[in-house]
Amino acid sequence: MSSSAGSFPPDNPQSSPESRYAGQLRAFPWLLVAPTVILLIALTIFPLIYSLYMSLHNFTLGGAKTWIGLDNYRDLLSDRSFWRKTWFTLQITIFAVAIELVLGLLCALVLNKRLRGLGLLRMIVYIPMMLSPLVVAYFWRIMLDGSFGVFTWFAQELGFGKPQWTVDLTLAKASIVATDVWQWTPFVTLLMLAGLQAVHEAAELDKGTRWMTFRSITLPYLMTPILIAVLFRTIDTFKLFEAVYIITQGGPGDLTETLSLMAYTVGFEQSRIGMGAAISWFVVVVINVLATLLIMLMARSRRESVMMAEVGDDE
Amino acid sequence: MSAAIPANQVKHRGRRFVWYLPAILITAVFAFPLYWIGSMAFKPARIVQNYPPSFRFSPTLDNFRQVFDSTYPDAMRNSLIIAVGTAVFSVFCATLTAYGLSRHNFRRKDNLLFWILSLRMLPAVAVIVPYSRMVRWFDLQDTYAAMILVYSIFNISFSVWLLKGFFDEIPKEMEEAARIDGYGPWKVFTDVAVPLVIPGIATALVFSIIFSINEFLLAFVLTQREAVTAPVALTNVFITTFGVNWGGLSAAAMVLVAPVIVFAVLVRNHLLRGMSFGQLD
Repeated sequence: MSSSAGSFPPDNPQSSPESRYAGQLRAFPWLLVAPTVILLIALTIFPLIYSLYMSLHNFTLGGAKTWIGLDNYRDLLSDRSFWRKTWFTLQITIFAVAIELVLGLLCALVLNKRLRGLGLLRMIVYIPMMLSPLVVAYFWRIMLDGSFGVFTWFAQELGFGKPQWTVDLTLAKASIVATDVWQWTPFVTLLMLAGLQAVHEAAELDKGTRWMTFRSITLPYLMTPILIAVLFRTIDTFKLFEAVYIITQGGPGDLTETLSLMAYTVGFEQSRIGMGAAISWFVVVVINVLATLLIMLMARSRRESVMMAEVGDDE
Repeated sequence: MSAAIPANQVKHRGRRFVWYLPAILITAVFAFPLYWIGSMAFKPARIVQNYPPSFRFSPTLDNFRQVFDSTYPDAMRNSLIIAVGTAVFSVFCATLTAYGLSRHNFRRKDNLLFWILSLRMLPAVAVIVPYSRMVRWFDLQDTYAAMILVYSIFNISFSVWLLKGFFDEIPKEMEEAARIDGYGPWKVFTDVAVPLVIPGIATALVFSIIFSINEFLLAFVLTQREAVTAPVALTNVFITTFGVNWGGLSAAAMVLVAPVIVFAVLVRNHLLRGMSFGQLD
């Protein structure tokens, strides 16, 4: 991604006081940094430019290509199913992030208590976010199976009939959101718990009612972690692929296809490489904007925590 | 942690235990899918698809036997080679780069750092199309080398940030002392700085391995036979024309999950850093 690309290369490092090493020192940081930067450019900037180039061509199966200018983009932007899939991706993102945020905060408030054994429980809660999204998708695919799924049975026991999770559109959406929520609420909890460490003392000693304490002390401290959680999860959910590919295969019809799945289907299964590249460029642009915001926010939070550590003379 | 409870809180002590209830409930919700797929993995084939689902049964290792008789272990081996290769290569590059960025002031250094960080967020879908063609130019289709290079982007980006944090904490005086003793810049780096960031290097290696073991979409597009990774194998080994072998699939999923859980426990103190691209802690 190129949110702040073009910054490289800088010129001489600042001159060193030790003249004996000056020559060596001038070259040294370059030797350390340059190979990695060249590698990263070759593996990211170049593919993105190449992808842009591909999106301006029409590829035939034989490999021949013809320049078609912005035709892929024009077709894409006038394709109603593209906008429907964009809207679907956004819907999933909004629901999943909102639920993760609320649940993550609640879990953090509970798990923040200083009680024996809670450390172990926290560790168990953290496990889902470490797992492969593909494996998690299979977990839920199995539990939501229409004929033997345990959740199907739960729902039936609770009197909801025998739901067809992946056939009904609303249930299919809910299944995808639930999978994302199960895997990523722990991450929001982790972020919130870190934020809560800072307020722990203040909130414990405060004499006000619990809600007042939460409103006036806890929540303001948590604003930065909340924003960071929202951005992280938005970026990640916007590129959601595995859960949809495994649980609903985009169905019913193609009504639960996300943009990532669309780019894969168009680019690989239909071999419309140019169009696939055009879709992925759309995703890149959206995520780039979000990522730039996130990075600015994290840089600010980092500065603040450094300042707080210095002021508080942390241990 | 185990300090005496302040006097004004003693009376609340009993009430605090009420919090165990929601805490255990939350844990149960997050643990249930793991428990359930874990139990599927030990179910005899004839009851795997029972409805209502069986909660009590005599466990069997048949599903695991099937997993190890299939091509899945080859995929596990591929995953392991790619994960370790990626970890070593990317942490090596990242250690050099992080040190360079930590110790020397370039102009526009922050821009460079943010650019590196932003690569971690690069959507796989953005590069699958160009990569699938690029690997063909270099004749690297379906190879470990291609997967290691591709995964390195994400892991170098992450490890640079993680390790820069560790290098920043080394007191300048230690390196200056070594310099006065006649160490050149390279020796200061290898003999003074690197030994002090070993915990950071270990953390970066573990997170890098977890990332590579878990990744699906890139491997799905870039591997066909020889370099197929475990997540990709999950999608095809247990799915035949006769239907899906759900018991085998569950067992294979648990085989993949187990080492990741062990790794996660190992780096539990650095989870926040690890999950926030090495940024927050």
